[in-house]
Amino acid sequence: MKIIACYSNKGGVGKTATAVNLAYAYAKAGNTVLLCDLDPQGASGFYLRVKPSKKLTDARFFEDVERFTKSIRASDFEGLDVLPANMTFRDFDVFLSRMRNKRSRLKKALVAAGSDYDVIILDCPPNFSTLSENIFKAADQIVVPVIPTTLSERTFDQLVNFFDQKGLPKKKLRAFFSMVQRRKTLHVETMMVMRKLYRKRFLQASVPFAADIERMGQNRAPVSVYAGRSAASAAYRALYDELENGVVSDK
Amino acid sequence: MTRADALFVVHGAFEPSLLTKPLKKLCFRVKPAKAAQKFQILDCFDQSIRMSGDALVETPGSLLLFQFSGAVFAQNARGNGAFVQDLPDGAVKSALQGFPKLRALTSIGTGTLRVHEFSVLDGLQKTQVRGRVYALDSEADKISIVSVQRLKGYDSAFSAVCTKLKGLAAKTNGADALFGTLFPDAVPYRAKPGIALGKEEPSIEVATDIIRTFIAVARQNEAGVIADIDTEYLHDYRVSLRRVRSVLSLFKGVFSTEQTIALKHTFSELMAPTGRVRDLDVYLLDKDKYFKILPSELHLGAEAMFAQFEKERLQALGTLSRRFKSAEYDRQLNDLTVLFSDVGSLAPGPNASRGAYGYACALIWKRYRKVCKLARQITPETPDELVHDLRIDCKKLRYLMEFFGPLFDAGDFKTIIKPLKKLQDNLGLFNDCSVQQEALLEFVARQSNSQKRANAQLAMSVGGLVTMLYQRQKSERARVIANFQHFDSPNIRHLFRSLFHHKED
Repeated sequence: MKIIACYSNKGGVGKTATAVNLAYAYAKAGNTVLLCDLDPQGASGFYLRVKPSKKLTDARFFEDVERFTKSIRASDFEGLDVLPANMTFRDFDVFLSRMRNKRSRLKKALVAAGSDYDVIILDCPPNFSTLSENIFKAADQIVVPVIPTTLSERTFDQLVNFFDQKGLPKKKLRAFFSMVQRRKTLHVETMMVMRKLYRKRFLQASVPFAADIERMGQNRAPVSVYAGRSAASAAYRALYDELENGVVSDK
Repeated sequence: MTRADALFVVHGAFEPSLLTKPLKKLCFRVKPAKAAQKFQILDCFDQSIRMSGDALVETPGSLLLFQFSGAVFAQNARGNGAFVQDLPDGAVKSALQGFPKLRALTSIGTGTLRVHEFSVLDGLQKTQVRGRVYALDSEADKISIVSVQRLKGYDSAFSAVCTKLKGLAAKTNGADALFGTLFPDAVPYRAKPGIALGKEEPSIEVATDIIRTFIAVARQNEAGVIADIDTEYLHDYRVSLRRVRSVLSLFKGVFSTEQTIALKHTFSELMAPTGRVRDLDVYLLDKDKYFKILPSELHLGAEAMFAQFEKERLQALGTLSRRFKSAEYDRQLNDLTVLFSDVGSLAPGPNASRGAYGYACALIWKRYRKVCKLARQITPETPDELVHDLRIDCKKLRYLMEFFGPLFDAGDFKTIIKPLKKLQDNLGLFNDCSVQQEALLEFVARQSNSQKRANAQLAMSVGGLVTMLYQRQKSERARVIANFQHFDSPNIRHLFRSLFHHKED
């Protein structure tokens, strides 16, 4: 099982759209995927028409495996399930590691409920907190959307510094440029500078600023479902390919 | 694999309006059906799939297995004429595990199939339940199978949809509703139909009932032999005639001596032309086993031998099929059917009016004593002939118990038959090994020239097989004594005595 966190310490960078489209790409490739909505402002569930379930915040839930499995909802797409709950409890990393451990009660209950996932995608809240630190520890990869502007550059510096301070493995950080507008000189220049500065941290794939992505809120479905031939859909597929298979798209 | 968590069978033509009425806060959306396809329902002759409550549907290029307990499996394959174990690996094949190995799938009936997909949506247009309607039409009638798929986290919508469909669904078991509606004439074949007996029924009536029933069973198998669907048709044909013959020889004094002799002759004549095909069927069914016995160096000769068997089987089957299709054969069997349709046309013997129960006890008790007497004589030194005799007497005892079974307690019979069957299986293997050795040696003799020289490859393979069969026969024989002792336990002795031997009579 693989855990992928979609994280940004800055809001409004296309994090939730990334989580939903990436989850869809993984499911489309034949994986069983659980998309966890951890961001109280996030809308992964909303994008997939899944109504939010009751908050699962109390620490006891941690032991309450049954409540956890019952909160999972099937999306309209084969292989993609959603946990539309704000799991903001402490010790989330312990929880995730139990999901990984074949002999844990949680894992066994998931298997029994037919919810043995290949991939778990976390839509994380945009802040530094115990929760995010726990996620950094537990996740295999941390996908970070970065808008190529000065402000975003600063927040990405902060994130890398945080990893340094806490001694977290920076290798996990897989950043990519999001909401890119190639007509803007600033965007192009920032991308060049940051790629040079963080050569190993940035993926080659980038996602453009596109009306098709904004329309996710109206269509309430992944971009590929309603705009399969759009540049945005191709960009998310390229992002998936590079993350999963290390394949760099030549487009 | 098509997933489904519940299945419902709804009589009549499928109307989307049946589903489209809103359900609480949910609404149904039925997609228009894809193009209609031809379908055929597949099963084996005795309808094993239907009996286990399922239905197998073949459409061009694919198989759909409906398990009415709540599952649908799909696989791309052709099924008609195939044996389940020979299907390519897939969901349908694995769901059909346990299907008889010797039975081929054949078409029970045909019609047209339309598949409609539907979904049940909430206020956000989120799918909460998914499903399919399989609308099946035959010449006789129309019926629909509705499959419903549970989506994780939407259990209450799933139960609401199931409750609604349950209200529309047929009340009978799904497979029976499907078969009964679409193909009402496709009555499943029974190799051993139940025959009702009365305790005081005159024995001549019992004998007549049994013989009439098994002539009918034999006749049902003729078409399958001619079409060469699988080897079980001929096997069942022969078993039915053997039952008839055993009634004639075991029910002593029920018919007049002249009639018994004449009938025995008639049925033996009917049976004779089937023997060679059955022998060859048995060799060919065991082909893989023979190759496993032999080291690969000896396979060449065995291949030549089996090629010869296959050729010979086709010829023998051709002759037999022509016979089955002949007017003379048909007339002969029709005459026999008429003869046994009424006791009045048969000449009674001295035991004709004896009550069935008393007669059964006497026959079974006598045969049981004979089996025991024979078996107790067997030591490692006794000649093989005695073991062969024991096999035949056990068989006769078993037939008697089966014929008169309905007159006795089923539980007691089960207790007796279990160790008897084990002994019989043992004796059967002993006999098969001995018969096969003779046949193989005879085969080589036939393939030899006038100087009694045979092809070396062939002779080596047969030599290897005969040696193995001889060893097997010896080890089976060694088990006979132990298996008989198991059958001869105090408990079984007591059961036989209390069931069949009443001193006061």
